[in-house]
Amino acid sequence: MRLSVVLCNKVADLTKQYSNLPESYIKRAMEQVYWRTPAAPQYLRREIKRKKYYFGVHRPWTAEFQAENQRGTIRKKVFVEPIREWSYFKGDRVEVLVGQDKGKQGIISQVIQERNWVIVEGLNCELKVYGKSKDFPGVYLKSEQPLLVTNEVALVDPSDLKSSAIEWRYTEAGQKVRVSVRTGRIVPIPKGAEETYDYKTKATYKESERDTKASEATEITFEPALKTFEMDIMECMGIQEDRVPAKTFWY
Amino acid sequence: MAGLISISKTLNSMFKSFSSLSVMNISKTKCVPRTSSVVCPCSCFHATSVKQDLMEFFDDKNNWAKNEVKVGRSWKKDELRIKSNSDLHKLWFVLLKEKNMLLTMEHESKEQIQLFPNPERIDKVEESMKNLEDVVRERNEAYFKLETGQTGERPVCVRTGSLGLRYNHRMAEHIIPQFMNKEWQQRHKSYAHTRDVKNFITLYREKKFLEKRKARNRERNHVIGLMKRFPNLDFEAVKEQFPSVDIEKIRYQKKTRGHRENIC
Repeated sequence: MRLSVVLCNKVADLTKQYSNLPESYIKRAMEQVYWRTPAAPQYLRREIKRKKYYFGVHRPWTAEFQAENQRGTIRKKVFVEPIREWSYFKGDRVEVLVGQDKGKQGIISQVIQERNWVIVEGLNCELKVYGKSKDFPGVYLKSEQPLLVTNEVALVDPSDLKSSAIEWRYTEAGQKVRVSVRTGRIVPIPKGAEETYDYKTKATYKESERDTKASEATEITFEPALKTFEMDIMECMGIQEDRVPAKTFWY
Repeated sequence: MAGLISISKTLNSMFKSFSSLSVMNISKTKCVPRTSSVVCPCSCFHATSVKQDLMEFFDDKNNWAKNEVKVGRSWKKDELRIKSNSDLHKLWFVLLKEKNMLLTMEHESKEQIQLFPNPERIDKVEESMKNLEDVVRERNEAYFKLETGQTGERPVCVRTGSLGLRYNHRMAEHIIPQFMNKEWQQRHKSYAHTRDVKNFITLYREKKFLEKRKARNRERNHVIGLMKRFPNLDFEAVKEQFPSVDIEKIRYQKKTRGHRENIC
């Protein structure tokens, strides 16, 4: 297995968390298998599929991602700086360190961990003209451009609203927190970090009709007994089995 | 006698009405997803309020032709561990029915060339079923370990195959012992001692070695590329992510020097 390729193509943890989707679905949605041996015992399992994916601002399970990674498109290799611990979350206040909005502060609206990117709300924007012709001036669309977390943004210390480097430390209660290096104050992780595609916070999730109610799901009905699952079910159903199985051999 | 005949007649007529109903039902249900206004004629025939006909294979009518059907996440193992065996048994069949329903809806949507909303529901059900099975396994394993000292799972051993390659052999249950089972012996004959197989093994190992070496070189070159591009690279993170690369060895090589260092 080609390890480096695998590392470059992994969907990041924060993306998975935001999606609130099963991993198998994300894999299934982004996968592009062009040819596969039939599922029969006479064939060795062989596949021809896309191995390298380009990760941009679009989420891996979307149609836009599919369009960016269309069959036949080959893109230049992207080098992503390894980071030990990710410390930028949705809802964080950050200061932009580069570009025309240098020195301005904003809130992170999207995190793209695969590329070490964050998108800051309303900052670092680009104007694009669509449909410009001789007799039509075109439509101008403003869109935020991603910023690198390594050197293009810095977290803001909430005590004095100035940017600062941060460090991960443990409180006396054993909780892992971000601490501003300059002031030693805790930089709390925002509520927005919890947000997924389905809900803003876990508490505000609306149960749908087919969902199991939380009270039913958390009810404890297990009672330990010296039985296997099958023995217990047979007892519940009143099935009695007194036949003695013949001796068999395992090899 | 007359009474008997009349009973059989009524039975016959009832049977006829039943059969005609069921045929109608099948034919109607086949076209139901296409025309939403059809009412299932069988629904009034049941004593129970639960509808147990072929329409159980289809989703609720309100969810037809919708762009999004929102559902919660799959069952986690921790949530299943607190449930009794009979609860898990019931839940298994609930999940199985749901999966059948989803697969039917997916198929039907494909037939109708329509969007199947939220296909991740299938994955969620499958994940739940897998977790449920794992929890049942855990319980059985605990029982067998306590009672017999073994896991009670299907045993696995490492065997050398007929081409001299080692593999995990999942043992199977047989009626007669191995030394008497000529057919099994014939099927699992080893050719490992023959010259052809020895040649094959040599070439196979060479292929594996080259694959590994290529992967190692590719990884090292990737790290060189990183060092070239990022002047403030966190070497600890690099070591964590690429453990096979000796960073100290390549750190001062000419290849790792970025263009920024050629300026002064």
